Amino acid sequence: MTVTLRINGDLRSFATDPMRPLLDLLREDCLLTGAKSVCREGFCGACTVHLDGAPVPSCLVPVGLVGDREVTTIEGLGLAGEASDPLQQAFIAEDVVQCGMCFPGMVMSLGPFIAAHPGASAEEIRQAMTGNLCRCTGYERIVEAALTALGAPR
Amino acid sequence: MGAPSEGRLIRAESVEAALAASASGARFLAGGTWLMRAPVRGERLSGCFVTLSGIEGMARVEAGPDRVEIGAGVTHEALAAALSGLSGLGALRAAARGAANPGVRRLATIGGNLCAVDFAASDLAPALIALGAEAACETADGPLRLPVEEFLARRAALLPGALLRSVSVPLGPARSAHARLPLRKAGDYPVAILSLAAVIEGGAVKAARVGVGSVEPVARRWPGLEAALAGAPLDPDSAAEAARARLGDFAPRDGVEAEGWYRIEVLPALVRRAAAALLAGDAG
Repeated sequence: MTVTLRINGDLRSFATDPMRPLLDLLREDCLLTGAKSVCREGFCGACTVHLDGAPVPSCLVPVGLVGDREVTTIEGLGLAGEASDPLQQAFIAEDVVQCGMCFPGMVMSLGPFIAAHPGASAEEIRQAMTGNLCRCTGYERIVEAALTALGAPR
Repeated sequence: MGAPSEGRLIRAESVEAALAASASGARFLAGGTWLMRAPVRGERLSGCFVTLSGIEGMARVEAGPDRVEIGAGVTHEALAAALSGLSGLGALRAAARGAANPGVRRLATIGGNLCAVDFAASDLAPALIALGAEAACETADGPLRLPVEEFLARRAALLPGALLRSVSVPLGPARSAHARLPLRKAGDYPVAILSLAAVIEGGAVKAARVGVGSVEPVARRWPGLEAALAGAPLDPDSAAEAARARLGDFAPRDGVEAEGWYRIEVLPALVRRAAAALLAGDAG
């Protein structure tokens, strides 16, 4: 079956199984490896991408259900090497990244959240992160960086 | 992976088309969050599927004076948003807002949640049971409407010949609350879930409905506790004591998150929490 998707602004067609996880198509066919394949059951958040701006675990999305929604991966947020938004800038400035496995997902989940909740508290940020696991357990620094991105007092 | 597969995913534009696809062997596909985890459960994601998102009204929530009609394709996130401001539905709002994690809540639908026969830990199921909701199905023989607890108990036999079209939740004088116990906050399946709805008049419980999920393989009412709560003031500690005296009402399931004995052992605490939340009025 031919599946046509708009990925990071480009319209592309694929001859593939419509029940294939979007995650696998992104990584294997598009070589967009920022989304990580970890738990593959929607618990860890490492594969988070945006569908029309909404963060979702791409391991649970069959490519045949994407439809005309815009797919944005971490690679689509900005040019390589550039921290394109306050959240990424805060992550770099505060040296938050540890092993890096969870970070594309963290950015993809937290970015829209803090944009939509400019007055978010630390607790609200933690709640927004319940679907993103950090095996290095660096959560507090991530929360602090998110608060920095919001310009919130610590 | 990657082989072209014509006919593997059918997009139904009508109930009739969906039922026809089902009759020819296709499985209904809603948000995909249960089916896509088939490989993790050691199952193959084989066969054909029919997606229901193209059917008119599947993703709509309509609030009338007496009932709220929830299309089966409404996601948890959309449901939580749609229920804000409606009094009495605190249990359902809390269930929709607290299940799984934010990303899964954006995908997983109420219909998929109720139709995943092997999924015991649905948050929506006990909330809908406590609220007296009904499942509205379409079948080849016509519409079929039945209480959610009956739908859940019969769904293995009803599906796939029946398409869950919507869920209808009555609005009334009852207040409701939802309590769940995941072992970790981050997205775990709760080991036990309890929803409580109660009509309180003159300081006493006039009527109560209790839904219990994740304890047995299928969510159900707790009639013994409902009877015990009726006629007396709602007191969290007394309600927990009444629950403890009736733990033998359950035949709990063992699972990787918890053994059966633990699932019932925590029920009194969940009853206490639900009663306290209901009385505090933060449950809607």
